[in-house]
Amino acid sequence: MTTPDPSPAGRELHLGLMFWATGTHAAGWRYPGSRADGAYDIGFIQDVTRHVEDAKFDFLFLGDRLVTDPALAKTNPAQMSRLEPFTAGAAIAAATSKIGIAITANPTYYDPFTVARLFASLDHLSHGRASWNLVTGADAMAAANFSRPEHWDAEQRYDWADEFVDVVRALWDSWEDDALVWDRDTGRAVIESKVHAINHHGRFFDVDGPLNVTRPPQGQVVLLHAGTSDRSRDIGAREADVIFARGPNIEEAREYYADIKERAARYGRSPDEIHILPGLSVIVGETTKEAVAIRERLDDLLPVVESRTDVREGALGQAHRPRDDWGVTGNPAEVADYIEEWFVTKAADGFNLFPPFVPGSVEAFTELVVPELQKRGLYRTEYTGSTFRDHLGLAKPPNRFQHTGGSVTGASERSPAAAQAT
Amino acid sequence: MRANRGLHLGYMYWATGTHPAGWRFPGATAGRAFDPDYIVDVARRAEDAAFDFFFLGDRLATGTEYQYTNTSVLARPEPFTVAGYLAAKTSRIGLVVTANTTYYEPFNLARLTASLDHISAGRAAWNLVTGADPRAAGNYSRSRHGEADERYDRADEFADLVVHLWDSWEDGAFIRNKQTGEFVDGAKIHAVEHEGSYFQVRGPLNLSRPPQGHPVILHAGTSDRSRQLAARDADVVFGAAATIEDGVRYASDLRSRAAALGRDPEGLLVLPGLTPVVAETLEAARAVYDQLNALILLDEDIRYGGAGPDAWPIGGAPPRREDQGPGRRNLAALSQRLGVDVTGADLDEPVDETVRQSATDEGRRLIATAASRSGRLVGRGLTWRDVLYAHIWGAHVVVGGPSEVADYLEQWLRAGACDGFNIQSAFLLDQLEEFIRLVVPELRRRGLFRTEYTGTTLRDHLGLTRPANTVAGTTAARRTAGSAVAEGARL
Repeated sequence: MTTPDPSPAGRELHLGLMFWATGTHAAGWRYPGSRADGAYDIGFIQDVTRHVEDAKFDFLFLGDRLVTDPALAKTNPAQMSRLEPFTAGAAIAAATSKIGIAITANPTYYDPFTVARLFASLDHLSHGRASWNLVTGADAMAAANFSRPEHWDAEQRYDWADEFVDVVRALWDSWEDDALVWDRDTGRAVIESKVHAINHHGRFFDVDGPLNVTRPPQGQVVLLHAGTSDRSRDIGAREADVIFARGPNIEEAREYYADIKERAARYGRSPDEIHILPGLSVIVGETTKEAVAIRERLDDLLPVVESRTDVREGALGQAHRPRDDWGVTGNPAEVADYIEEWFVTKAADGFNLFPPFVPGSVEAFTELVVPELQKRGLYRTEYTGSTFRDHLGLAKPPNRFQHTGGSVTGASERSPAAAQAT
Repeated sequence: MRANRGLHLGYMYWATGTHPAGWRFPGATAGRAFDPDYIVDVARRAEDAAFDFFFLGDRLATGTEYQYTNTSVLARPEPFTVAGYLAAKTSRIGLVVTANTTYYEPFNLARLTASLDHISAGRAAWNLVTGADPRAAGNYSRSRHGEADERYDRADEFADLVVHLWDSWEDGAFIRNKQTGEFVDGAKIHAVEHEGSYFQVRGPLNLSRPPQGHPVILHAGTSDRSRQLAARDADVVFGAAATIEDGVRYASDLRSRAAALGRDPEGLLVLPGLTPVVAETLEAARAVYDQLNALILLDEDIRYGGAGPDAWPIGGAPPRREDQGPGRRNLAALSQRLGVDVTGADLDEPVDETVRQSATDEGRRLIATAASRSGRLVGRGLTWRDVLYAHIWGAHVVVGGPSEVADYLEQWLRAGACDGFNIQSAFLLDQLEEFIRLVVPELRRRGLFRTEYTGTTLRDHLGLTRPANTVAGTTAARRTAGSAVAEGARL
């Protein structure tokens, strides 16, 4: 079937769902019909994912933190405790077939060889739907869970992350797509010259390679990043396929959008390759009045032991905290108007939906808002591809090791400096 | 041992089997290691046969030479993601994930295993390894792999810490009362405050206690340190004993070590790895075995592997099992293993009894292995080719029809050499199908193997109780737990 041209510029709106089992509203779990125990129920998580897959969402997003504090129960129980995202993401892959699966992983506390394996494997298991949300870990407490005497400052974390990403990307390319041949007659299983050591020797990492997982179906797994600092904008513009940070209002969001696309161009990337999908908290009802009533009912459920100010300024940092100016409350047309304005005026290429309560607010969005967006020609009615890169309109990138003149295992041509230049 | 309870059977998954040329066998699967449908198919077969668990191995390095020795480890998906996927596609079988304490962070590993246990509703297990392939160091920014002692010091502390992190949430910490707004009882969530030689970890873990309390821990190994770690921390041990006598010695050594550490030896199951080569009859199984071996690529220079006669001094250390690839598939390499020079023999010449007698104990054992697998005895058809094949395929193998294989399993069990086996296949899918079709019913007829699962968790399948929480409770209890870590004991 043909879908209507989504916009005069040929751009396509993209939607992800930030999965917080108890919702992004601090009292979302108390809302009637919400699941209070969904965080540990993989069947429930799979159901919610299939629901947004039916609505043709680009991806499901699994956040992560490396610390907990029972005090988070008051401000955001969804972040206090949850399943580890790689294992959960794999179980979601088993229950879905089209939707992208974004996993948050923090390079500060992982090794590049391990991260490269985890994502490459998930990409194989999901037939090309894996995605890495790269965070550097603003949470100082995490250091204490990883035998680190101190929390690194942002500069060191980004220096480390820059090199980490280089290593992971090289490892993903270390097997050419057709390296395995399984020739029963000769007894030869692999063409040695198509398996490459990466021989990375950098400031933080020394990694020989090759990876012991073959090249991911997407070639390079989709990379997500969020952040507003200069360093984070920079790594996002250079490496990310999706960015989900934003300015606090539409004007600043447009500036942010323009800045990222301009930085991307400076790195030799097409601005279309990078998708800016800010978080958006939506409360929708059949009517405006109904939506406002839902919002009020939710807010009334906030813990009474502390003032609402305390709750909102609680244990969480600013970045992921749902706030009024991160959201829209209204009827389907009003919500669609909001999304359309942000999209058309280039404040966003789409949104990462923050559901205040689950599954109710997700169902309301797919039942009321998605059809409205489709009616306006803003959103797909069918998936046109099967990988996450397909959904984002991104081609499978060439392998850096291919066609380099018959190199052999153990002799990589690529130096870290060369990788920076490409 | 728990012979009265029958056998426990795990299935150790190797995508292309354990035989070095198994993937070349007519009809064998090759090239599907990354196909989730294939992995699910294999796991479901094992689950339909009521195996205790499905075992995913792992290594942290590879090299293309594995194509000739062990194609299954050449490239394969990472095991936590595979297990997460399988958790969604199976419902009863245990899921064993291999993870290396030398190269993982305890906090990450505790989360991954606990999360898998939640996702699978209590079917997760961790196979603790310290690193078989020294090339891993080169993939992890380490100048060296570390000596075994150092790796085990780290592993001991790592295992303690992971258990404490699993226990950092008491059962029942969640309240989730929508009326009152109480979500969690913070008094039931505890820091672990671990201050050790290798790790300093505050905790608590950021997810609740695993359904099994502690996911099952597996360990393999023969060294003193690895036995000690197994006796202290493991629920299941899969040693490398190749004869029933060795198996008995190994199992009783582990039992006495466990008892000396204050553990109930019944809580430690010994499940050696075993590749049964099975067919309808003994003769047919031997034919499969011979056909498999004929697919092994031997060195063109069958005397010296192209290296010349001086490269193979007799009496040196025997090569590692891993090192039996091209260039080592010749009579000189075999001579090293036997401790006697057979480079002058013809490959298809009968094994000479006087030569056999001058071989080392190790060499005579190898000849006996070749004879029992092939059914050809010394002086009655056994050739040097048979012995060379047994040398190259160094796995624990039994060749037989259903009754011979069942006899073998039963003898080991009755002798107290094991509580069951980690079953592996020479190649897939045929050899798994044949084991399930032919041997499993025979074991059931003998009352040696369950006909269906009686519980839901892996601990249930293994007959292990859910452990008490080592951390929870009072501050005093936590302090005790902390000092116990320092002393290397387990509460």
